[in-house]
Amino acid sequence: MLPNGAIDVSHVYKRFHADKRRALLRDQIQILRNRVVRQTRPKWRWVLRDIDFKVEAGEAVGLIGTNGSGKSTLLKMLNQIMFPYAGHIDVGGRIGALIEVRSGIHPDLSGRENTFLYGSLLGLPRREVAARFDEIVEFAELTDSIDRQVKFYSSGMQMRLGFAIAAFLEPEVLLVDEVLAVGDAPFQQKCLERMRQVLEAGTTLVLVTHDLTAFEATTQRGIWLKDGVVAMDAPIRQTLSAYRDFIETYAVSSAADSGPVRITKVSVSAAEGGHVRADAPVAVRLVVDCDEAVDANLYLGISEGAATPVFTVSDEAHLPVGESRIDCRLEQLPLARGRYALWGGVYTTSGKSLAEWRPLLTFDVSGAELGSAPRAVARLAPIVIGARWEHS
Amino acid sequence: MTVDLPREALFRRHLRPGKMMADLWASREAVRSLAERDWRARYKQAVLGLAWAVLTPVMLMLIFTLVFKHGAKVETDGMPYPLFAYLGLLPWTLFSTSVSQGVLAIVGNNALLNKVYFPREVFAIAKVLVALIDMAIAMTVLFLLFGINTFMPRPTSYWAIPMLLIMLAFALGVSIFMSGVSVYLRDIRQAIPIILQLGLFITPVAYDLSYIPASVRGIYVAINPLGGVIDGLRRSVLLGEAPHLGITVIAACSAAVYLVGGYALFKRMEKGLADVA
Repeated sequence: MLPNGAIDVSHVYKRFHADKRRALLRDQIQILRNRVVRQTRPKWRWVLRDIDFKVEAGEAVGLIGTNGSGKSTLLKMLNQIMFPYAGHIDVGGRIGALIEVRSGIHPDLSGRENTFLYGSLLGLPRREVAARFDEIVEFAELTDSIDRQVKFYSSGMQMRLGFAIAAFLEPEVLLVDEVLAVGDAPFQQKCLERMRQVLEAGTTLVLVTHDLTAFEATTQRGIWLKDGVVAMDAPIRQTLSAYRDFIETYAVSSAADSGPVRITKVSVSAAEGGHVRADAPVAVRLVVDCDEAVDANLYLGISEGAATPVFTVSDEAHLPVGESRIDCRLEQLPLARGRYALWGGVYTTSGKSLAEWRPLLTFDVSGAELGSAPRAVARLAPIVIGARWEHS
Repeated sequence: MTVDLPREALFRRHLRPGKMMADLWASREAVRSLAERDWRARYKQAVLGLAWAVLTPVMLMLIFTLVFKHGAKVETDGMPYPLFAYLGLLPWTLFSTSVSQGVLAIVGNNALLNKVYFPREVFAIAKVLVALIDMAIAMTVLFLLFGINTFMPRPTSYWAIPMLLIMLAFALGVSIFMSGVSVYLRDIRQAIPIILQLGLFITPVAYDLSYIPASVRGIYVAINPLGGVIDGLRRSVLLGEAPHLGITVIAACSAAVYLVGGYALFKRMEKGLADVA
């Protein structure tokens, strides 16, 4: 028996049928006949191969990967909805899961009935659900509509109810899949907040999302799934930066450079020589190639990975026909040590795109590392600010 | 892509009966919630509400009385025909509702299937529970019929309890099994109403078990324990005798095999339900 909250995934394989088949008698007979008469073997699509990891009770793990990498299937197997083909999975304690947006939600029942139904499916007695009911309704902001049928809820309302139920019924393991995408910004913030509270209470969290900053805010460890295998299992920052590199090569190569203005050369270096340091000036040099002379706005930005930039700077310039060189000196980079991307774009003064806004190159910054804060403290903050403290 | 794995690496579910029963017991709230939900959903929408539970067996009883008593002159050994037919229709309705609803139990709960884990037989059990409540409501008519026919239930009526258990075991076994099969063979849903209609006539509901030749009666009851149940009910409630011992034992054993067998087969199917559904 595993201790409550621990997860043990051991050499797990999962496959699905790759051939076209329907759950109909006719198809099944056809398949059976092919198998017996023609000795054809069924074709399989391997969704997960040799997945092997352990999670300690109270750990917060992010599952990272592109669409179709097997994250959701893995989560479903952790939740015992699906079973592996080979290997075994053990999860200690009660599991609360928010898989798919309307998790645990039955459209024909009211919000109230759903709450009790879901609680009963988690194995909670009615009175325990009743004890937490008010909290759930309040968190989901559904006080007025809790007795309405859920099918008349907006998708945001359904998601809020689903999240509130899963997060407030105090499971030992909380599985969350792609839910933050639906809620509005304040509610996303609330969910992150609640996840941190749940974590502090000792719940194990497994999170799947495409919002990479949400990972950093809540998880300590990142498992990167790539085409059904574990590509990396490391502290979240490391996994994320590797994943971002992967995504970037993807992004940079996919943006075709065919506008009227082309950025042909880019470099980032320390203005005073040596490594690019966070606390020293940085020189950015661009070479642009124009088809015709134009008055343009130049934009530069720096991002952590392929997400939106942390900051941008801009300048007006007259660009002549042919190649011209542009230098920009950034007085200081308020960034932690790590790998960053330089973004650039050129627009007309009226805002028309001349060279599309996109990541141009990645570079490494040496400097202070962000201290490892206790888990409950947000590590969303990507920038470093000098601060002087006094204690009396 | 091919992946070759040694046999011993393959995932095996360790299903021990004790553990399965414990899991099921832990899910009793879920059974209750699901049954309550089905119950409400059904009667909220229907204009006649609760009357539906009564209407089906009563209509059939009236039709049978017309056709079999006055038309075909079915021999009932002195039992008033409406009571005779109704005592057959109660178990039959329980069974047919359990099966026809059982087929939809998992297919119709796709949303839940993909989100939360609990033993999947819970869906079918909830359907049988609803059918049982329907039967309890339909029983009120039975008392009315006793009044109309100025007929008193016999003191041996307590035999109805073991009969009820036998038919519950049978209904559960078939319903649980069908709930799983219908996920893999969706078109079975279309076949079920026809099979059930046929079943109504090959089960001694409108006529007496004695119409089945004595030489095959044992085998018949082994295949269809409802025959034994209905016969036992009529003998004990209407005739004041104990049910036929041999027939009852066969029916009980058969129902037990249906229950255990259906459950075991279902548990084997359970593993792949979410992959297909």
